Amino acid sequence: MPLPLTVLVDEPPELPTVLWQRTVPSRLELKAELMEQIAAVLTDHGLLSEDDGPWLALCLDEAIVNGMLHGNEADETVPLQLTIGVRDRRWLIRIDDQGDGFTPDDVPDQEDTDSLLLEHGRGIRLMREWLDELCYYRRGSTIIMGRDARH
Amino acid sequence: MASEHLSVQAYDSIVLATITKERLMDPPVIAALGEDLLKLVDRYPRMSLVLDLSAVNYLSSAFIGKLIALFKSIAANKGRMAIAGAKPSLMPLFQITRLDKIIQFEPEAEKAILFYKRKPL
Repeated sequence: MPLPLTVLVDEPPELPTVLWQRTVPSRLELKAELMEQIAAVLTDHGLLSEDDGPWLALCLDEAIVNGMLHGNEADETVPLQLTIGVRDRRWLIRIDDQGDGFTPDDVPDQEDTDSLLLEHGRGIRLMREWLDELCYYRRGSTIIMGRDARH
Repeated sequence: MASEHLSVQAYDSIVLATITKERLMDPPVIAALGEDLLKLVDRYPRMSLVLDLSAVNYLSSAFIGKLIALFKSIAANKGRMAIAGAKPSLMPLFQITRLDKIIQFEPEAEKAILFYKRKPL
């Protein structure tokens, strides 16, 4: 069963045991480098397996693009903060943008037959399927996602 | 016809389009590829398209959106489309998004081409 889409108004919790943190301008050309760094940190800590690669890339792409383009409205002067933490054997990634968040009702329901041919709105659905933890805070301006190491 | 990340071979109305880029994550790449794929519909309006993804290891949800746009354009022209060679690691993405319900998937491009040869439009 996919995780529910949870969007809270609350402030996000601090991540336990921070492994890595970066604050970057909202420039999409930084995305590939950030994704590589995050994957390397998780791999170095034994939290990522080879099969996780495509899924992690998809989740990070979705969260970083949403944060930079929608949250920060592609304004290069507005920062995006990315943090990796770990709780037991679960890696956690928190991404904070400076936007106003989003309305869950605007996210297409992928179980709905009418949504089948929509050309957008699949990213969050895929994230809900693969992750073990997914929660939006500050009305959607902060995402915390996590997954247990499977090995 | 070819472009930076796409090679195309046409056998009458059967068109084999092979994506040559391993990571389909960058918005400019995805936008350009989406345009190139839609141009195929202009060039071969009623085609049987085999889209070979065997070189692709990573893709974003934005690329899945491009596949939907391509499928709709081909269907509007009464053509058909198959995706071939998708890596097993990527198949769950297509299953969860239910692309496998509307687009034919084949393990190899040759199988899809043979299928279309045997069942011409």
